Amino acid sequence: MKILEIKNVHKIYNSSEVKVHAVNGVSLDFEKGEFAAIVGPSGSGKTTLLNMIGGLDTPSDGEIIVDQTNLAGLKSSALIDFRMRNIGFVFQSYNLIPVLTAKENVEFIMSLQKWNKKERDDRTFELLKAVGLEDRINSRPSKLSGGQQQRVAVARALASKPKFVLADEPTANLDSKSTETLLDIMEQLNKEEGITFIFSTHDARVVKKARRVITLEDGKVISDERKN
Amino acid sequence: MIWKTAWKNIWRNKVRSLVVIISITIGIFGGVFAVAVMNGAIEQRVDAALNEEISHIHINDPAFRDNYDMQLLIPDAEKVLSSVEETPGVNAACGRKVISGMANTATKSAGVQIVGIDPEKEKEVLRLNETTMPATGDFFETESRHKLAFIGQELAKELNIIRYRIDQEMLDNLAARGVPVKVLDRLAPFNGKRFKSEKAFKKEMKTVLSMKEQHEYGALIKEEAWSFRTRSKMTLTFLDKDQMQTGAVFRIAGIFDIKNSMFEMSQVLVQNKDLAELTGLAPDAYHQIIVRLDNPDASKEMAASLEKKLPGLEIMSWKEIQPDLAMMIDMISKLYAFFMVIILAALAFGIVNTMLMVVLERTKELGMLTAIGMNKKKVFQMIMLESVFLSLIGGVVGMIFSKIIIGLTSTNGINFSNYAEGLEAMGFTSHIYPVISSSFFITVTVLIIITGILSSIYPALKALKLDPAEALRTE
Ligand SMILES: Nc1ncnc2c1ncn2[C@@H]1O[C@H](COP(=O)(O)OP(=O)(O)OP(=O)(O)O)[C@@H](O)[C@H]1O
Ligand SMILES: [Mg+2]
Repeated sequence: MKILEIKNVHKIYNSSEVKVHAVNGVSLDFEKGEFAAIVGPSGSGKTTLLNMIGGLDTPSDGEIIVDQTNLAGLKSSALIDFRMRNIGFVFQSYNLIPVLTAKENVEFIMSLQKWNKKERDDRTFELLKAVGLEDRINSRPSKLSGGQQQRVAVARALASKPKFVLADEPTANLDSKSTETLLDIMEQLNKEEGITFIFSTHDARVVKKARRVITLEDGKVISDERKN
Repeated sequence: MIWKTAWKNIWRNKVRSLVVIISITIGIFGGVFAVAVMNGAIEQRVDAALNEEISHIHINDPAFRDNYDMQLLIPDAEKVLSSVEETPGVNAACGRKVISGMANTATKSAGVQIVGIDPEKEKEVLRLNETTMPATGDFFETESRHKLAFIGQELAKELNIIRYRIDQEMLDNLAARGVPVKVLDRLAPFNGKRFKSEKAFKKEMKTVLSMKEQHEYGALIKEEAWSFRTRSKMTLTFLDKDQMQTGAVFRIAGIFDIKNSMFEMSQVLVQNKDLAELTGLAPDAYHQIIVRLDNPDASKEMAASLEKKLPGLEIMSWKEIQPDLAMMIDMISKLYAFFMVIILAALAFGIVNTMLMVVLERTKELGMLTAIGMNKKKVFQMIMLESVFLSLIGGVVGMIFSKIIIGLTSTNGINFSNYAEGLEAMGFTSHIYPVISSSFFITVTVLIIITGILSSIYPALKALKLDPAEALRTE
């Protein structure tokens, strides 16, 4: 089942004196349950592509269809709502609200969706347990390591049961031990719960874990390999 | 969750938030307290004016006030008086004779307004009797074969009835009251000297005493030097009902001190029976009826209704009698508004400035929140709540602080005696009891909340303009 179709997407930035063709005719399909890495040199368009998939940025041309919804057809407020219900995000940094505890950060999205307290508590605990942080529920981000913070971010991304999780260089700021732990957790969630992950990375060790590796260069897909 | 997050967010930068809160607190306190002091001064002034000087309503012949013509009596004054007394809402009323004249002592004279009253009835309308200075007598209470006059402190000084003198007895008294020999030695050269006025006395004292000594013993020295000769006399001269010069010697019954130099200088109260005898006017002939109401705020309405009841007479509420008082009350409320506008504007600037900084600092985080699905309404709400919390804390703390300080100072008052002369010349006391009405309090609190909300709009809009993709890319 296709949950994401990218059809001949372009992104041209006109803002500076030079026109930048950041994404240049990318077409990709993603199935449910994929564990895909987008790799490529710096400036190859990974972030731009992920932002467009996530509805944070609009393509200059082409279409992005998330589970039969064309993102181009959504107005900005509807798009925010769509993101909240369908897409999980993990960023490189600044993922968490520093004044809230791990639990509150994970709950945040659910409270925006007006889940009731009981459901929220249960799910938060379940998610933090899944990322191995059940004993750090009440810690603030400043009391957590970088890796632990990213795990909270993964838990938060899963809170609304999204169609897929987008992660732009989630391990860029982590040491190798934390990187491995985070990847193991993501892999486990993918295998056991069938959660779809699409992440960008520079890190060869991360790439190794991926079951599909898409390589970008100058905004174009130059290879798309699947492993088993 | 949004409320909780907003609340926690303001404590992110504790120092900055505290600075904002403290400045709001200080601003609010400064403004409210200044208003309370002004308000207290005015209320005391109005209270004093109504209770001691003018009462609430005056009734007289329409032309009487033009030049106080003695012939312009209230027709059927007794009937008018009883009709006024029967009117609901009237607490008390009494009739007076009011004529112009001169007060003379051996050395001095002054133009005055001589008011003939019935002391017992007068006391029910005005409480001038309660302002009698200690050891100067009383309000016509002591029986006397002589004609008596009750005069103001300023006039007594002017006529040399009160004076300042330094003599051996006074110096001995000071020694007995613990004034050090060093100070007494300085005063010794003045032994036997009399001073014409308080001013002259103070001037001399300043030349021999240090600031510290003046501060410590000034009041005591002044009190002992102050001398009033009991059974002092003065002559009052005026015209009788046939325009013939007349007059008599009056003993000073007592001296009143009301902190209004003008009034003290000009009003001489004598008994109606004496004035009737000297002028030849009937004892129940009155130029003026003064009225005390149950509710002074209703004076305008009462004046209007008495006007219907008593055609052909001039009926004036205290606001018309003393338009400067009414104007002052009016002006002061504009001044309050002006004060509050300035403070609220400062509050608004503080909030806008701080919250813009907050939005700028949190660009990435706000971008992240929009990315993960926090909609514009919620972002707006969060920033707005943060602003409102800040202004509310500052406002509430400021108001509570003001309330406490006003509460503390309103029982004991604040002594502005350093400025006493200027204040008393304007009819204000130098001891001010700050007061604030609860309606002013509530209005200010509401205005603070509104200002907080309004000034949060701009920063909150700024937060909305953030594009999540851009925001996340910013470093
Ligand atoms: N807002 C923008 N305006 C103009 N050019 C932009 C903008 N955002 C990105 N670019 C350009 O688009 C190109 C692709 O950038 P992008 O961030 O997608 O690359 P990336 O693969 O994520 O790189 P990195 O590995 O460094 O994160 C770059 O040349 C970048 O300079
Ligand atoms: Mg990137």
